Amino acid sequence: MIETFGALLDGFGIALTPLNLLWGLVGVTLGTFVGVLPGVGPALTVAMLMPITAKLDPTGALIMFAGIYYGAMYGGSTTTILLNTPGESASIATGLEGNQMAKNGRAGPALATAAIGSFVAGSIATVMLTLLAPVVVEIALKFGPAEYFALMVFAFVTVAAVLGQSTTRGLTMLFLGLLFGLVGIDEQTGQQRFAFGVPELLDGIDVVVLAVGLFAVGEALYVAAYSSRQREEMERLSGSLMMSKEDWRRSWPAWLRATAVGFPFGTIPAGGAEIPTFLSYAMERKLSKKPEEFGHGAIEGVAGPEAANNAAATGVLVPLLTLGIPTSATAAILLAAFQNYGIQPGPLLFQTQASLVWALIASLYVGNVLLLVLNLPLIGLWVQVLKIPKPLLYGAILVFATLGAYSLHQSVVDLVTLYVFGLLGFGMRRWGFPVAPAVIGLILGPLAESQMRRALSISQGDPSVFITHPISAALFLLTAIILLAPLVARAMRRRRGG
Amino acid sequence: MTHGLAAASRRGALVDLILSLGVMGLGIAAAVVALSLPSAGGYSRIGPNVMPVAVSFGLILFGGLLLYECFTGGWRARTPDDPAERGEHGFVASAFGWVSAGLFAQMALINTAGFVLAAAVLFACVARGFGSGRWLRDSAIGLLLGLGVFLFFVRFLNVNLPAGWLRPILGGAGL
Repeated sequence: MIETFGALLDGFGIALTPLNLLWGLVGVTLGTFVGVLPGVGPALTVAMLMPITAKLDPTGALIMFAGIYYGAMYGGSTTTILLNTPGESASIATGLEGNQMAKNGRAGPALATAAIGSFVAGSIATVMLTLLAPVVVEIALKFGPAEYFALMVFAFVTVAAVLGQSTTRGLTMLFLGLLFGLVGIDEQTGQQRFAFGVPELLDGIDVVVLAVGLFAVGEALYVAAYSSRQREEMERLSGSLMMSKEDWRRSWPAWLRATAVGFPFGTIPAGGAEIPTFLSYAMERKLSKKPEEFGHGAIEGVAGPEAANNAAATGVLVPLLTLGIPTSATAAILLAAFQNYGIQPGPLLFQTQASLVWALIASLYVGNVLLLVLNLPLIGLWVQVLKIPKPLLYGAILVFATLGAYSLHQSVVDLVTLYVFGLLGFGMRRWGFPVAPAVIGLILGPLAESQMRRALSISQGDPSVFITHPISAALFLLTAIILLAPLVARAMRRRRGG
Repeated sequence: MTHGLAAASRRGALVDLILSLGVMGLGIAAAVVALSLPSAGGYSRIGPNVMPVAVSFGLILFGGLLLYECFTGGWRARTPDDPAERGEHGFVASAFGWVSAGLFAQMALINTAGFVLAAAVLFACVARGFGSGRWLRDSAIGLLLGLGVFLFFVRFLNVNLPAGWLRPILGGAGL
C-alpha cells in the first residue's frame, strides 16, 4: 500500500511536469473535439489521432492518449444529449433521458450532471484502479503461458458472446478477427501465412487500419447510404448550465451508485461500458422517487449512465495495463498504441517500466480534472462543432482516416485494404455483426497463439497442461459455461414447454 | 402490401443465406491455405499451421451455425430489413457510389497528383455523396484542409507525404 502510494507520487511528479501537462491538455481537448463529432466514437477518435503522437516520447504519448481516451468519452455524451446520435453503444442510455431534458430546455443541467458525474466517477474509479492494479499484478506474476492462454480464450468468448444481438454472429466476427491476426509472418518460424507474397501484408494487418476501416469508412458508407438524406434536429442550448439544488440532490447518489456498478463491469471482459450503462439506467429508474419523470427527462437517468460509462472506461484499463488484455474496441486500439512504442502491457510492465505506468495512472487523475475545468466553460465551442454540416464533417473524417492508413507504409495497398474493411464494416453494420470481437481478435489473437505455443513447448507438446493447471482449468470451465449455459437453458425451456 | 412485405422478407432471408455460405466459404478457403502450411514446430510440436487450421475450422463451424439458423426460423435477433424500422431511409446508391468514388480517386491520385490534391478530390466526392450540391466550395475547403494537414504532418511531425504536382509550390517538403 505504502509502495503504491510512493509510486503514484512519483507518477504525479512525471505527469505534472509542464510538458507532460501540456500533452495531457492537448489530448483532452483534441479528444473532446473529435469525440463531439457525431458518429465518431472513442475507438475511432483514438485511432484517428494516433499519427499525431508520432514525434512524442513514450511517456508523453501515453499521457496524451489517456487524455484523448477520456476526452472522447466526454465529447460523446455532449453529442448524445444535444443531438441524440450516440457515437457508441455506451452512450445510448445517456441519450434516453439526456435528449429529453434538452428538448425540455434543460440541456444545461443535463450537460452539467454528465460532466460533473464523469469527473466524480472517473476520479473514484481511478482510485480503485490505483488500489486494484498492484493486487492483480501480484497474482498475474504467478501466471504461466497456460494461464494466459486460458485467460485470453475466456476474454475472447465473453466479448464475442456477451456483446451484440447474437452469440453466433459475435463469435463469427471473433474468428474473422483471429484470421486477420494470422496474416503476415509467423514470429516463431518465419513462415508466411495468408500474405500471398504481398509485401504490405507481410507486416500483418494493422489494427488501426482495421478499426479505421470499420468505424470510419464503413460508417461513412453506411450513413451516406441510409441516413444522409434525413434532417437532424439539434436541441438548443438555452438557459443556464447551473444545476439547481434539487438537481444536485438527485444526481450525486446516482453518480456513486453508477460508479459502483460501472467499475467492476469494466474490469471483467464484458465489452466495456455498454452493459453497466443500461444497468445503471434501470437501477435509477427503479430507485427514483419520481419514476414518472423517466422518459420525459429525469436527471438521474443522465447522471447514472454517464457516470457508469466513465467508471467502466477506467475499469477497462485494469485488465489492459495489468494483464495486457483489451476488453473493448477502444482498449484494443490503446494496446496498439502501446505496441507502437514497443511497450507490451502486462504485469512485467509494472516492474520494468514502473515510472511510465504510474505516470500514466497519475495522468488519469490529472485528465479528469482537466476535463472538468475545460469542458463546461468550452461548451459553446462544442456546440459550434456539432453544427458542422454532415457533408463537410464526413469529408474531413475520411481525409484523416485515409491519412492514418496511408502514412503507415506510404502505400496505396493500405488504402485498398482500408476500403475493403470499409465495405466489411458497412455489411457488418447493415446485418448486425458486432465490431469489437473482430478488433479484439485481430490484436489479441497473435498474443494468444504465442502463449499457447509457449505453454505447449514447456509441456513438450502435451495439451493436458491447460486442464491440469488449476487456474487455467477453472477459466476454461467458466468459458464453457458461458458458451453452453444459454443452450442448456433453451433446451430445458423447450422440454418444459413441449 | 402484405405481398410486398413477404417478398422483402424472402429477399432478406436470401441475403442471410448468402452471407452464411460466404462465412463458410471463407473458412474453407482459409482451411485450404492453412492445411498447406508446414507443421514442423520444434519442441512444442505446434507448428505455424495449428492456429490457422483452428481458426479456419472455427469459421466453417460458425458459418454452418448461421446456415442452420437460416433454416430454423431465420437468424436470431436480426437487423430489420425495413429501413423505417431502423429509423433510416432506403438505400441511396448514388450516395454510396460517390463516397466510394472519392476513395478510389484518392487511391489513383495520391502517388501522382500528391496528397493535397487527392485529399481535395476525396473531400469533394464525399461531400457530394452526403448531398452537398456546392462542389466548388467543397473542393476549396478540401484543398485547404489537405494543405493544412500536409504542412502540419510534413513540417511539424516529419511524416513523409507525397507533394506530387504541387511540388513547385510546396517546395522541398514531402517526398
